[in-house]
Amino acid sequence: MKRNNQTHSNSVSLSRIPFLALLRTLIRQKYTFTMLVLQIGLTLAVLSNGLFIVSQRLEVLQRSTGIDETNTFALTSSGFTTSFNPENSIKADLNALRQLPNIVNAVATYAFPFSGSSDWDELQTSTGHNENIVPAASYKLDEHGIEALGLILVAGENFNADEVLWQTESAKTFPSVVIITAKLASDLFNSADWSTVVGKTIYINATHSAIVKGVVKQLQAPWNAAGKIESSIIYPRVIIRNSARYFIRTKPNTLQTTMVEVEEYLAASSQQRMIRKVQSIQSMKKQVYGPDIGAISILLVVISALSIVASLGIAGLTSFNLVKRKKQIGIRRALGANKTDILSYCVAENVIQSTCGVFLGWLLAIGLNIFLVSQYALPKLPLSYLAIATLCLYILGLLAILKPAIKAMNISPALATKD
Amino acid sequence: MFNYYLSLSLKNITNHKGLSVLIASTIGLGIAATMISYSLIYLMSKDPLPLKSERVYHIQLDNWNLNTAAILPDLPPEEVSWRDALNIVHAKKAKFQAAHAITWGMVTPADNNIPPFLGIIRATHGEFFPMFDVPFLFGQAWQNYPRDRVENVTVLSKSTNQRIFGGANSVGQTLPMLGQLFTVIGVLDDWHPSPKFFDMSLGKFYPPEDLYVPLQIKANLELPHGGNSNCWQTNIGDSYQAFLNSECVNFNLWIELSKQQDKMQFENYLEDYVQQQRALGRFPKTTQNIMLDVTQWLAHKGVVSSDIHVFFYLSLFFLLVCLFNAASLLSTKFTAMTAQIALRRALGANRQAIFSQCLIETIMLGCLGALIGFTLCVLGLNGIKILYPEFSAFITLDMTLLFMTIGISILSSVLAGLVPTINVCVLAPASYLK
Repeated sequence: MKRNNQTHSNSVSLSRIPFLALLRTLIRQKYTFTMLVLQIGLTLAVLSNGLFIVSQRLEVLQRSTGIDETNTFALTSSGFTTSFNPENSIKADLNALRQLPNIVNAVATYAFPFSGSSDWDELQTSTGHNENIVPAASYKLDEHGIEALGLILVAGENFNADEVLWQTESAKTFPSVVIITAKLASDLFNSADWSTVVGKTIYINATHSAIVKGVVKQLQAPWNAAGKIESSIIYPRVIIRNSARYFIRTKPNTLQTTMVEVEEYLAASSQQRMIRKVQSIQSMKKQVYGPDIGAISILLVVISALSIVASLGIAGLTSFNLVKRKKQIGIRRALGANKTDILSYCVAENVIQSTCGVFLGWLLAIGLNIFLVSQYALPKLPLSYLAIATLCLYILGLLAILKPAIKAMNISPALATKD
Repeated sequence: MFNYYLSLSLKNITNHKGLSVLIASTIGLGIAATMISYSLIYLMSKDPLPLKSERVYHIQLDNWNLNTAAILPDLPPEEVSWRDALNIVHAKKAKFQAAHAITWGMVTPADNNIPPFLGIIRATHGEFFPMFDVPFLFGQAWQNYPRDRVENVTVLSKSTNQRIFGGANSVGQTLPMLGQLFTVIGVLDDWHPSPKFFDMSLGKFYPPEDLYVPLQIKANLELPHGGNSNCWQTNIGDSYQAFLNSECVNFNLWIELSKQQDKMQFENYLEDYVQQQRALGRFPKTTQNIMLDVTQWLAHKGVVSSDIHVFFYLSLFFLLVCLFNAASLLSTKFTAMTAQIALRRALGANRQAIFSQCLIETIMLGCLGALIGFTLCVLGLNGIKILYPEFSAFITLDMTLLFMTIGISILSSVLAGLVPTINVCVLAPASYLK
């Protein structure tokens, strides 16, 4: 008899599921059914919106800055005696650093991606007041800057040593050449052919002019002040301050050891200054993106806790309903329903519940998203996230009823005869 | 009777141990998620100057160029120029007034055992301290100096005093720094206003500075311009003095009025001042001056990030899911008790008695949920401290939050239990007694 049932189960068809009876049962359990549908709907709303926010934050984290982020670090050298000569100190330090075997190149700069501060300049292609003004973050680097940061020159040339101005902070003498990023070049000149941009003149803050000497593929601004993070301009300048900041690029896989070596070497080389804030660019990146990493972690915790709670709810309710209907199932088995029929009955019931929840969930998810878009300027939820969340909920629902359904399947028909 | 219900409820809870724990932890989980995100909003929006936040104002004047805006779309800069800072402070139109800016310089303690360090310094007028209720451990602050006179005095933070003087009363001691000798006249007690409303340029919850010096010292020693420094003029010349004479803004200007009603009067004074400067060829724009009190200023700066608000709404959804879940679990629990309830009804208990007993049981589950929720909340907030180190200065659970957790938890469990309780009360006992 048992064997017979199993062979029969291979030819299960939808027509063997008593849909009408199923719906009647669900409607009779109004309260628990509503609770379940509400849970599924709300879970779907949180799941789709949460996953979308997570994916957006991940995108920000993975965005490239244009520099070599893995093999670079920065440090600060602060002179504190009256006889300290910052210009000589910077020159001597950079010369010595560039000689070290593990160092690719080094440069003195206050601004680099993740440093968090920089000046912004307003650039134009002609002097008129009504001309298109493009803001750009300003970098001041000498001729070693491109190699030290690991930038890629896509057109034109690097600076020459004699073009580099060594200036104090307030000096207003302006260099005659600049290097700009590809994005800035296309914003200024409406051209995607970088080589045509080289040699053209740009106006800076409506007062100075300079010739574009080169174009680099990418160099993000140290901070996204004007919403123009890809817009950067490099001047051939070194700013002389008592506190200098060095950006150093090492050969691959030597970062940790080189950081220690450099700190020890610089600290020992002069008693008139101190070495501070030796930090890899990776760890600075972590700090800058800390809030994003925090948001991702919190959302993932909420999403997984929610999924667990929702599936526990579904599992609990299903098994409770089955306990209540034990006898009914036994009678159905005795009247000829085979194991697969019982299983497919459970699955069908679950799918109907999930579907109701999913419909409600779509409404809630879109409603929540419209609210978040209007209040917090979040982007619109793509439908693909609704689809993913829907799929997740169906799978979650089926997993949740797996155990109770198998239990139900194995209810003995003999139960029908018991009182 | 109450005691009987209580012991009966306790018995029921222990009889269905697994189910009860599941219900309580579901409620607890939802409560924890909501309370964590709510406490972040609550702690961040706490008034950093509770006694007088409505009388202390941040001043913004628009000395910008005619065709551009200091802050888009068309707002005045958040800092003022050196000239305006001094003019307004020395006019003494308010109870307290102070302009201040962040700067830094080398501190070189006389004791050779203490290594020199780069001190983060706030250069400020002396009225900064009484205006912001800054607590002093030793000594006191300086008075606002007149324009042409200043002394080399300094106030140390508690940790700086610990670092240099081992925590002893250092008032009257000399401290070599910035290439000169300074006299310590005061030492602060622990002070970390969160948010750091008076200057958020380095971060909204950034710790206060190591040392404080009179504002004029910054000009005299040509100390660097920290924080936000913004210029629209480009050809101001090379010297430090040129920066001070220019329209470049770098100084945070704050005032305290004796009473809120004086605001109008001070606004008129500011307007007159701007008019008078306009006559001298400054202030080409006619943008309204802005005077925001501490609360308005914090709202304007968006101290509570939108992330946290988004978390809060998501956690409310989460709480709802947990409630619906708990509701269906409670329904299960009460249905399982039907036979017992029917027996009690048959023996003479009326509906009201059954209702009270079920209510007590749900409230007990709610208390258990509150306990679980509170534990999870403490754990969660510690997790937040790890994820957001800058928040760690102000994250503490206070009594208000504790009572809210308990209150919301009990309320939620009662709400979740209401329908199942009513359902079980209206059952006709006869059929279940067989």
